[in-house]
Amino acid sequence: MTLDTRVKTRGLLRERVSSHATRVKDFWAIYKGSRLGMVGLSLILAFIIIALVAPWLAPYHPRALVGTSFLPPTEKYLLGTDQVGRDIYSELIWGTRISLMVGVLASAFAVAIGTTIGLLSGYYRGPLDSVLMRITDLFITLPNLPFILILAALIGRNIWNIIFVIAIIGWTGTARMVRSQTLSIKERPYVEAARSIGARDSQIVIRHILPNVFPLVFANAIIGTVDAILAESGLSFLGLGDPTQPSWGMILHYANEAGALATGRWWFIIPPGVCIMLVTIGFAFSSYSLDQILNPRLRKRRW
Amino acid sequence: MGFKEYVGKRILQGIVTVVLAITLNFIIFRIMPGDPTQAMVGDPRMDPETRITLIAKFGLDKPLLEQFVLYLYNLFSGELGVSFVQIGRPVVEIIFGRKLVNTVILMGSSMFLAFALGIIVGVIAAWKHGTKVDLSSIVFSLVTYSMPVFWFGMLLLLLFSYYINIFPIAGTVTPGLAHANFFEYASDYLHHMIAPMVTLAVSFFGGYFLFMRDTILDVFTEDYMLTARAKGLSDRKILFKHAMRNALLPMVSIMGVHLTYLISGATMTETVFSWDGLGRLIYDSVRDADYPVLQGIFLMMAILVVMASLCADITCAYLDPRIKEAAE
Repeated sequence: MTLDTRVKTRGLLRERVSSHATRVKDFWAIYKGSRLGMVGLSLILAFIIIALVAPWLAPYHPRALVGTSFLPPTEKYLLGTDQVGRDIYSELIWGTRISLMVGVLASAFAVAIGTTIGLLSGYYRGPLDSVLMRITDLFITLPNLPFILILAALIGRNIWNIIFVIAIIGWTGTARMVRSQTLSIKERPYVEAARSIGARDSQIVIRHILPNVFPLVFANAIIGTVDAILAESGLSFLGLGDPTQPSWGMILHYANEAGALATGRWWFIIPPGVCIMLVTIGFAFSSYSLDQILNPRLRKRRW
Repeated sequence: MGFKEYVGKRILQGIVTVVLAITLNFIIFRIMPGDPTQAMVGDPRMDPETRITLIAKFGLDKPLLEQFVLYLYNLFSGELGVSFVQIGRPVVEIIFGRKLVNTVILMGSSMFLAFALGIIVGVIAAWKHGTKVDLSSIVFSLVTYSMPVFWFGMLLLLLFSYYINIFPIAGTVTPGLAHANFFEYASDYLHHMIAPMVTLAVSFFGGYFLFMRDTILDVFTEDYMLTARAKGLSDRKILFKHAMRNALLPMVSIMGVHLTYLISGATMTETVFSWDGLGRLIYDSVRDADYPVLQGIFLMMAILVVMASLCADITCAYLDPRIKEAAE
């Protein structure tokens, strides 16, 4: 490679990077204008900060037995204690980490599986497409909660297994969407051009198709996070969470088992649910605004 | 593609999916750690005679492939094994009985409620596109979507059973109460059903609403809407006769797939309210490791979802010929 072409390539690359930067900047300019989106983003950031500074926020270790059981809220125990005498407030603070981690990782795994299957299916068509799409149909059909309950019960209750079972049911929407996008992008002139100068399939897919589906994949990952966090809390509530980790769903599970409802121990019930709801609202609002920006359907009433 | 060909193709796809689901159901309970026969007979609660009968019937001492054939054979003759917990009771008898009825009543009514509300509020929000009404219903539906359904149920219980005692805390009917006649029974049942029904309906509402609103906004851009206006029809007629009818079709088509979410929601809700249905049965079976029952419910629900989405697709293709063209 001569110096000249090397300089040129570098120039092109720089242009590519800067065009990415302007695109991100443009996107941010629109996103800032959406009130729902900003509320959502602030909620997400707030919980990320709580998760990061958990050791300083929480007065006690989340697993430590610090008092007698079922204490009502006092200055010493801000939200009372649970059925074995752990500080509920500390459990909530530490639970932020579990919720965010499971939500984000499970959704990321799910989206990665979905994108891979969608790209393969849409790009190669033929028998591979048929097989992959039948598998996708199957996973769309599986009653998802019973399925993850069974899987979780069979493979055991630890945090990585939970992430795995949530991811394994969450990829179908992405797969279908990426497939249909790939079908249409594949026919575009620049893909034809790339193919005609002898670009390999992997190059075409990674350099031309993937960047074009990425925004939608990203939006799917955000809404997927809502579903994943809800799924984790549901699993934990049903008693299949990781017993070694403090999780919001788990606190609610113990509250339910210990009869907090019949005895009116609101501090055992309301705060964990509010936490779950605020995090998921953060992601849901963000996802809604993203969707508004990424799918700007020109909707003009005809009358 | 003609209508008949489309229906044939969809049915074939449905059958393939069911076969895959049956296979998956067979596999997941046999890849568990330890003895692969555990899922059918490996429970100390089971009495030895039943165990021997089942081992013979399902060929549990034979190679996997042979087991699979026997499994299929038994499945088609309605034999799903015996429960570990309710000793000796066939799975089929446990699933297809009172619990199924309770679940269908609860799910059906809350689905209907959510569906109707979603459609009406969706139409209104789309009509008032961009106004405060629109925005606040979007926020409301996003919030209900984000709320863990079991927690909402717990809130209702805390509020209406603990603080203001107007709803019973658990069950489908008051235990120990001898109902004088059917009417009394029905009213007791309904009284127990209100809270779980509201819980489920609220959690389903968000999805239906957002989808309906989106569809109506799309319908608004169609030429026939302009025609309707040009004919001089009133707003109300345009909205409810033309826009709503055309938006109903996509709503029907998502209902089939939506069923899986309903089942998840029902499992949580039935657990919170101790509603004696299949959802609660799933929870109990997971807790007690009652694998035969779990396998049975799982299979039944998978088949139900396949059939529901098949029916939805065929109805839609029948009503709107454009759909089957879009299918390929």
